Amino acid sequence: MKRWIAIAAVIAVAAVLPLLLNPTGYWIRILTFTLLFAAMAQVWNIIGGLANQTSLGHAAFFGIGAYTSTILLLKFGLSPWIGMFAGGLLGGIAALIIAVPTMRLQGHYFALATLAFGEVMRVIANVWTPLTGGPGGLSVPFMPPSVAAYSFKQLLPHAYIALIALIVVTFIFEAIRRGAMGYRLRAIKENAAAAEVIGIDTTKVKLQTAVISGVLMAMLGTLYAQVAVFFDPDTVFSAASISIRVALIAILGGVGTAIGPILGALFIIPVEELMNDLFSASAAGLSQLIFGVILIAVILWRPRGFITVFDAMVARLSGRAGS
Amino acid sequence: MAFLQAIIDGLLVGGVYAVISIGLTLVYGVMGIVNFAQAEFVMIGMFVSWFAWAYLGLDPVLAAPLSFAVAFGIGWLVQGQLIARVLKAPSVAQIFLTVGLLIVLENGSLLLFGSQFRSVTTSYQTQSLSLGALFISVPYLIAFGMSLLCGVALWWFMRTSWFGRAMRATAQNPMAAQLMGIDTALMYKIAFALGVGLTAFGGAVILPYVTVFPGVGGQFVVLMFTVVVLGGLGSVAGAVVGGLAVGVIQALSSLVFPIQLQNLVLFIVFIVVLAVRPQGLVGASR
Repeated sequence: MKRWIAIAAVIAVAAVLPLLLNPTGYWIRILTFTLLFAAMAQVWNIIGGLANQTSLGHAAFFGIGAYTSTILLLKFGLSPWIGMFAGGLLGGIAALIIAVPTMRLQGHYFALATLAFGEVMRVIANVWTPLTGGPGGLSVPFMPPSVAAYSFKQLLPHAYIALIALIVVTFIFEAIRRGAMGYRLRAIKENAAAAEVIGIDTTKVKLQTAVISGVLMAMLGTLYAQVAVFFDPDTVFSAASISIRVALIAILGGVGTAIGPILGALFIIPVEELMNDLFSASAAGLSQLIFGVILIAVILWRPRGFITVFDAMVARLSGRAGS
Repeated sequence: MAFLQAIIDGLLVGGVYAVISIGLTLVYGVMGIVNFAQAEFVMIGMFVSWFAWAYLGLDPVLAAPLSFAVAFGIGWLVQGQLIARVLKAPSVAQIFLTVGLLIVLENGSLLLFGSQFRSVTTSYQTQSLSLGALFISVPYLIAFGMSLLCGVALWWFMRTSWFGRAMRATAQNPMAAQLMGIDTALMYKIAFALGVGLTAFGGAVILPYVTVFPGVGGQFVVLMFTVVVLGGLGSVAGAVVGGLAVGVIQALSSLVFPIQLQNLVLFIVFIVVLAVRPQGLVGASR
């Protein structure tokens, strides 16, 4: 009960916060992207945290989602709300295509295979010019603002959509973690051979998580396309700024926990924006350099994420209360 | 004829790929770490060589030992200060530590050297030897020769020197090696420093035909992983075969496909090999 009150309080604060910001300003943009990246990291967390498969190729599904809804809108005038589900379907199929041959691979090998898959999609999007517009990218056409057309004059509705998306994927994550699938995944994580013996179809369970993660990531790609309004293959299929970044957010926050990706995004996205603002004019590369240093420092300091800081604090507090 | 020409070019370029990638496979073989930042040492090797050419008047190929030495020093520090701390950490921490290193190295060089492209001019740059109807590019040939030299030296070091044997012992069983009085932490430092040194050496010898800029490492990342996965991650002999194979695959695919698709072919080969034979085509011999 206490837990639900806490969750409701957090959501209420998150719901009021956008209203306090200037609706056309800079901070609402950062907030929107923070929420969106938190959702993306949460989706990565389903496969990266629960199934313990470090994917470095989630940009593949993200880009598929962004391109599918935008192309459907451009060529057939289909609302991005519908395009989002079409993208999700294709994202799920793509996840199946890459996961079937590679799911048996462990740790580094799976990371490498997915990294290459993301790059394959990027090259294809660059070359298939008649469909994707090639390296020149795509502009999302302007529609008269309405909810049905997923078109708004301001960023505020986008911030709320991103918030709802984050809440939805977090609930999906928790449902999987606490449900039968979560138990199976934990069993596999502890000891794959033993899990097989007690009758868990390890390949099937892992495939399910891969497909769920792929579908959701593609749907978030549509959200991104609608906010960004313009994108090209090197942005949405980027290994560094999508695949690695979402994994990083989840890892810095705490892999396999529902709160981890949210903590990670609240830290990384504003810090990155801030450093870009402070340094990009004076010296190219400095902000990214600092970002890399912070990343290394956090991994050396807390290899299991920020969440361990809170755990340690809670342990200390409750220890003191008990004595 | 175009086919034979492609094979020759592919083998010559592939020899360099082998040396660049041996470092990656060596580090994995000895301590089980996949260094995602390895390709950045190609960039470091190229920059060292470029500065040696521009300010000391050294031929970029002759500056290769200097590139090796600089990267060796950086590698020694990186292993001792950073990698050593995550050897027992979960693989995600290892992956992302080296990803962080990649970001630092690439942006550090952007900060120091700026984003412009730099190239060298040498007397032999555009020369080629003719062999009947076939041509052998002189810079390719020199780079291949230097790589061969480097590979043989490494082989000799690993086979005959005490350090080489101690390193192989550490790779096989660190606990037993430690009991035999081998300082495994030192072996890890040597392995990592040697690995990135070789990669930087490979970067220096290709400078006559590749321009250098801070992001140049990105062009080699998937290529290097394809090489080591083809040969079997951890296998030095495999990396040589993998390097030559990747060179030939690249050259042949450029006969059939437009240049933009050259990497696509490589990526697909990479994924297929990982899926079908993750232990590598050559087999798991160290």
